[in-house]
Order: sequence, then structure tokens, then C-alpha cells
Amino acid sequence: MSAAADPVVLRHRDLERIANAALRVGRILMECGGRVSVVREGMRLAAQGLGANVVGERVGYASLTLTVGAGEETITRMIDVGPHGVNYRLDVAVRRFATQLAQQGGAPQEVNATIDRLARETPRHPLWLVAPATGLACAAFGRLLGVDWPAFLPIFLAGGLGQWTRAKLHARGTNPCLIAVAVAFLAGVIGGSGARAAGSASAEMALIASTLLLVPGVPATNAQTDIMEGFPTVGSARAVSVAMIMVFATIGIWGAEAVLGILP
Amino acid sequence: MTPLSAQLMIDVGHQAAFGALAAWGFGVLFNFDWRSLVWCSALGALALALRTFALAGGWSLEAASFTAALAAGAVVALTSRRRGEGADVIALAGCIPMVPGAFFGKAILGLFALTAPAPAHAEETAIFAIVAMTRVILTLGAIGAGLAIPSQMSRHRGF
Repeated sequence: MSAAADPVVLRHRDLERIANAALRVGRILMECGGRVSVVREGMRLAAQGLGANVVGERVGYASLTLTVGAGEETITRMIDVGPHGVNYRLDVAVRRFATQLAQQGGAPQEVNATIDRLARETPRHPLWLVAPATGLACAAFGRLLGVDWPAFLPIFLAGGLGQWTRAKLHARGTNPCLIAVAVAFLAGVIGGSGARAAGSASAEMALIASTLLLVPGVPATNAQTDIMEGFPTVGSARAVSVAMIMVFATIGIWGAEAVLGILP
Repeated sequence: MTPLSAQLMIDVGHQAAFGALAAWGFGVLFNFDWRSLVWCSALGALALALRTFALAGGWSLEAASFTAALAAGAVVALTSRRRGEGADVIALAGCIPMVPGAFFGKAILGLFALTAPAPAHAEETAIFAIVAMTRVILTLGAIGAGLAIPSQMSRHRGF
């Protein structure tokens, strides 16, 4: 019997395609900042819609593993996960697609094509909007922390330039920890010196507020939720990565304080 | 209205307005659509207003943050069926302005200061750093728990 006509081989090939397609759904959800339970549910819905059952899955910080089965046949496949970020619109689009797939069914090739299209075509806010919006968020954070009005505009400018720099460095593939140092230093120097030049009495807090764009708030909260929901491995990995980013950001803040002569 | 309560209302309005602005800005960073950005801002304002009221009532930052996150999470859990997938992320974005990032930075800077060859006021600095780090951990825990409880109790678990 030739391999092409062997029903077992055919089934394994089908299952492999299904596993790989479901893993791609999970990878996008993970990279968009989804909790482990969301990633698992997305993979389960995708596999179910493609006609297989999920026998088991392992969600790691840097990779996903999925075992799917149909009848007696099972197959296990693994996929790498890229840098974690937060992309709400892509996350929602992929969740909707997975739900629709589970209800209406589909073929693995269609899933791959749709995932590619969603990743390519889901709208993103342009950098000319994201950078000032992030600066505004930092300035608002500053007001929440008690900085005075003269420091508002310098923090806005520092946060915006910090976000612009972060996006450019990220696009070049720079290590996230190094980005944290560079952006914290740049934003801190601009925010702190600008606040001082504007006559602010809260230049030190303005310096710190300018760097708050770096605080990984979503991963920090997801870490706890993952642990609560029974996934301590990924939760712990997220918590450690949050701590590392904050340590590196603080090195940048420390450097900025040294430059401005306001080290405690 | 007494002068004290008038001042409180001004404080609450200030914190709510800048909470909404911060949540909106981070919502843009997180690529929320325009309609969801309105929700982010509203939840940011709600969370900061509640937290300010609670702090004015003598509550600790941790208890106030927990209550504010619980309220934001409850609003989203009650309306999540209507808004569909990803509703849980909106509640989280609304609570981002309460994340104590500045405390974290100060705690680590305090620890840096302790490693100087001859640290000045070492005991005070150590206590400051420990207190700041404890507040970071407890406040983050409070926000996470406040968001998770309504989500876990909801029939629509947020996918």
C-alpha cells in the first residue's frame, strides 16, 4: 500500500495541519497579551472547528505545545511564541474568528490564510497618534502622582518621545530590556530637565512619571490571573519578565537622575 | 455642602479626569478601537474616583485599589455578554492608571542607594525601599484580585 493511500498516514497529516493551524491561533493570542486560559480556549475552539479534539496542551512563555486527536489517532506539535505585547484589536479579531470557526467549521488552509490576513490587515493606530497619546497618559499619570502643572507639558513631550524611540528600537529587534534602559534614560532626562526648566517644584517625580510608559501593567496583572487560574508556570515567567523590565527601566531612571544631579 | 466635601469632590473630579485620560492614552497604545477607548476612559474615571473616595475615607491604598478594580471588573462582567470577546481586557485597561509603577521605581532606586560604598541614612532608605516594594506587591495583587473575582463569577468568562 502506498503512503498516499494509507488512511492512518492521511489522518496523521490532517491532524498535523489541524494542530499547526490551532497553534497559530494560540500564538497570536499569546503575542497579543492574552491570558493562558484565553490561549487554551482559542486553540481548543480552532481544533474543534477543524474536526479534531484537543487531547492536551502546554502553554509556555516562549512556546506552545498541542496534542490533537481523532478517534485512536493523536499527534503533538509545538510552535514558538514571539515577543509578548498588547494588541487589543488583533486579539479580539482572532477570538471572534476562533469562535466562528468552532461554530461553522473550516479547513486548516483557510485558517492559516485568515490568520495571515488578520495579522496583516487588522488596523493599528499610527505612531503619530500612539506617541502623543502615550505622552498624554504619562502626563496624566504625573498629575495622579501629584506633579504640578508646570511639569505637565515636559512629561507629555518626554513620554511621547520615549514611545517614539521605543517603537523604533522595537522595529529594529532590540532587546526589550535594553529598550527599557534607553527609553527610561531618554524620557527621564527630557522630563526631569524640562520640568526643572519650566519651574516645576516636582522635577524628580516628573522624571519618574515620564518613564511610566514602560510599566508592563497588562503582563503584571495577567501574571496574577494566570496563577489564580491554575497556570503558575506562565504566571511566574510573566512576573519575572515584568520585574526584569522594571529593574532595567530603573537603571535608566538612575542614570537620568545622575545626569540631572538629583540622585537621592 | 461643607468646604471639606467640596474639596473632596474637586479631588475626586481631578483624579477621575486624569484617570480617564491615562486609561485612554494607554488604550491607544494597546490598540483599542475608538468605541472601546470610550469604555477604557469611563472605567479609568470610575476606578480613580472610587479609589479617591476610599482613600479620603481613611482606607489603605491596597484596599482602595481592590475596591476600585472590583467595581471596574463588575461593570464589565455585567455587560460582557453585550460587548462580546475581549471585554475582560477593557476592565484591565481601565485599571492601568492604578498600577503603582512609580512605587516600583522608587523601591528599586532605594535598593540601589543601599549598595553605595557609604550609604547615607541606610536604615531609613532600607525601610523606605521595603515599604515601597511591599506596597507595589500588595497593590498589584489587590488590582488583580479585584479584576479576577467578577470575571471568575461571571457566566461569560471573557473569551
